[in-house]
Amino acid sequence: MAATYTLSHFDRLNEATQERLHNLGLYEGITVALIQRYPFHGPVIIENEHQRIGLRYRVFTQLTGGSNQ
Amino acid sequence: MTTVALLGNPNTGKTTIFNSLTDKYAYVGNWTGVTVEKKLGQIKNSSVTLVDLPGVYSLNPLTKDEAVVTSYLLNNHPDLILNVTNAGQLKRNLLLTIEVLELGAPVILNLNMIDDLKRQGKYYDPSILEDWLGCKVKTTNARTHEGVATLKADLANLTADQTSSSPLLLDYPPMVKQAIRQATEALVQDYDMNHDFAQWLSIQYINKNKAVRRYALFHDLTPLRSQEKYYDAQDFEGQIFNTRFSFIERLLAAASQTISSANQVELTSKIDRVVTNPVLGLPIFAGIFFLIFKLSFDWVGTPLSDLLDSFISGPLSTWAEQFLTAAGALPVLRSLIVNGLIAGVGGILVFIPQIFVLFACISLLEDSGYMARAALVTDRIMQLIGLNGKSFIPLIIGFGCNVTGIMAARTIEQPKERLITTLISPFMSCSARLPVYSLVVAAFFPKHQALIVLSVYFLGIVVALLVAKGYQLLFGVSDSSVFIVELPQYHLPRFDVIWHGTWDKGKGFVKKAGTVIFAGTVLIWLLSSFSTHGYVTNSSQSFAASLGRQLVPFLAPIGITQWQTIAALFTGILAKEAITSSMMVMFHTSSQAVLISALGQFINPVAAYALLVFILLYAPCFATLGTIKQETGSTKWTIWSLVSSLIIAYGLSWLIFTIGSFLV
Amino acid sequence: MISLITNTVIILLIVALAFWQLVKVFKRAKKGKCAACDYDCAVKKQVLKQKSLH
Repeated sequence: MAATYTLSHFDRLNEATQERLHNLGLYEGITVALIQRYPFHGPVIIENEHQRIGLRYRVFTQLTGGSNQ
Repeated sequence: MTTVALLGNPNTGKTTIFNSLTDKYAYVGNWTGVTVEKKLGQIKNSSVTLVDLPGVYSLNPLTKDEAVVTSYLLNNHPDLILNVTNAGQLKRNLLLTIEVLELGAPVILNLNMIDDLKRQGKYYDPSILEDWLGCKVKTTNARTHEGVATLKADLANLTADQTSSSPLLLDYPPMVKQAIRQATEALVQDYDMNHDFAQWLSIQYINKNKAVRRYALFHDLTPLRSQEKYYDAQDFEGQIFNTRFSFIERLLAAASQTISSANQVELTSKIDRVVTNPVLGLPIFAGIFFLIFKLSFDWVGTPLSDLLDSFISGPLSTWAEQFLTAAGALPVLRSLIVNGLIAGVGGILVFIPQIFVLFACISLLEDSGYMARAALVTDRIMQLIGLNGKSFIPLIIGFGCNVTGIMAARTIEQPKERLITTLISPFMSCSARLPVYSLVVAAFFPKHQALIVLSVYFLGIVVALLVAKGYQLLFGVSDSSVFIVELPQYHLPRFDVIWHGTWDKGKGFVKKAGTVIFAGTVLIWLLSSFSTHGYVTNSSQSFAASLGRQLVPFLAPIGITQWQTIAALFTGILAKEAITSSMMVMFHTSSQAVLISALGQFINPVAAYALLVFILLYAPCFATLGTIKQETGSTKWTIWSLVSSLIIAYGLSWLIFTIGSFLV
Repeated sequence: MISLITNTVIILLIVALAFWQLVKVFKRAKKGKCAACDYDCAVKKQVLKQKSLH
């Protein structure tokens, strides 16, 4: 089973990114499954309600509250 | 005449619906941003016009193609809006639906891809959705044409009494509601606006819709503009989003039904495990393209093209020659028709099989859903040069035609990234360049045709990326790029969609043969058949020859020494196919084999490869230049694009020719 | 004589057609259109409309 994460800290992102995430049904407090990570801090694939979304590593770490950069 | 606007999120199958409703095919792909401009179609046997708008997630535009939709709604009043949604992703799709319903125009909500929903073991009760939203609900599965006939009948029988309805108004928090009411009243009173439109405009304005705010600025809508700071300080935007979202959650909870799911094997995750694999992803991406070139050049395309060529250069030319002689045509006319039109235009038409095979493969990739994955696996590399994986899609589209590639760049959020993508697009090797590659590889690299062509394509990508890196340093593009990409479910490819995608891209090629290539051929025939002394039978005394010879000293350092090639490069700016047709005309042959042996006498393989590289890069065609002008709105960038291509092409061909000659 | 006139007329027709096509291509290219594709004029109208608003 894939690891799950709760997304938060949307306010850390720039407005366009925030908006795009909202558009795709990702918002504060939602739980997503991590499907795939890429080496060298490449993109991350997450899944939420049968929808797969690719985003950048930095955005993902910011949303999951990890240390950024 | 009744107008129906098709509106919905990207990847909901809008274009498939559009195509099956209008019995006419528009461009379909299984990735975000296929429709970058709106398209019109007529529903068969009715007076209803259907407008296919680009896919948008909300009415607040982040990209240029999204802005088309908002501007359409601000300036046009469709009689009905057909809101197409992905039933499997209804929750986020409804955010847009609410924005549309608030407009007050009659709406039909279409739950498309209903199969995806059923596969999740879920179903929504349409009557509950209809009740809560106050609009008609229709379920379809456009790929299998399920439910499309009823939808079509509904739209075709649209009558005036159905085209009235009242806007949806959600229960926003009291402060927001009051703000909306006050602004609406002022707009109706002072600006003589329709109440529903004023209300929608107010909600959108409060919700920080950039396009609506620009509209308000332009029309000087004081009631809204004076309150802007207040709206934003109170975070009305956030409150509106929360109200909408909780409304949707309650609605879906009420309408949701559980059904027994077929529990199919998850095709998508199985394929994804392979193609988006961290290690294998990029090699697979390269492998897929190698396979495509193998198919077009070695296995299927070339053999068919050769067959066609032997017909045109053999029986057709001979027959035309005999017929014209018998009919009493003078040598000039015979030369124009046989050595000009048949050789030039026919010489281009023989490449139809290769180009159609290439397009069929690209259509297959688009329809399957692989493109979004390609964007994902290339994102890390693109990030190094200050772009993102999304820029890769316009570049791949550019393999078909640079013009459409540049149009597809509209889906990129950041203006600077969009500009860079536009400027590097012409380096992508479009299909019009393919005929000349095909000739040169057949003449000099008969054993490795696909590999050499692939290397030229690859070189185009590398040059594009390096130039992009240069622009990144020049513009100081910061790291604030938006890269969020939806990975759609894979579809089993459907023959009709692929065939029509191929035809859609390929028909342009056929059409060009009759217009611009025909014109270019006649032009080059005139130049190569006449001199200051009138008609000449030996083309080496013609205008084209003297023009070409004057430029030989400039192009000799890169290995181009024949005037024929130089003259052909000029017509190539009209359209890249014209390079090939011009060579055919100037060598007075309609046979590829003759041209190939003629070319072989002049240059060696190294010079031939340098020539390929020069042709790849030397200049965008007129149409591409026009598009760059259109999309950047700047003559400066257009001229720069031409100048920089020339410099890069010259430099790189010189390097290849010099180093290559030294080594061989 | 008649044959010469017919020949000349046919040649001139072909050349005239070619130049007319050339002019069309230039006109389309200026508007950012490729000779190959047929984007609806309504689209261009929309773009122009947008431009006039700013």
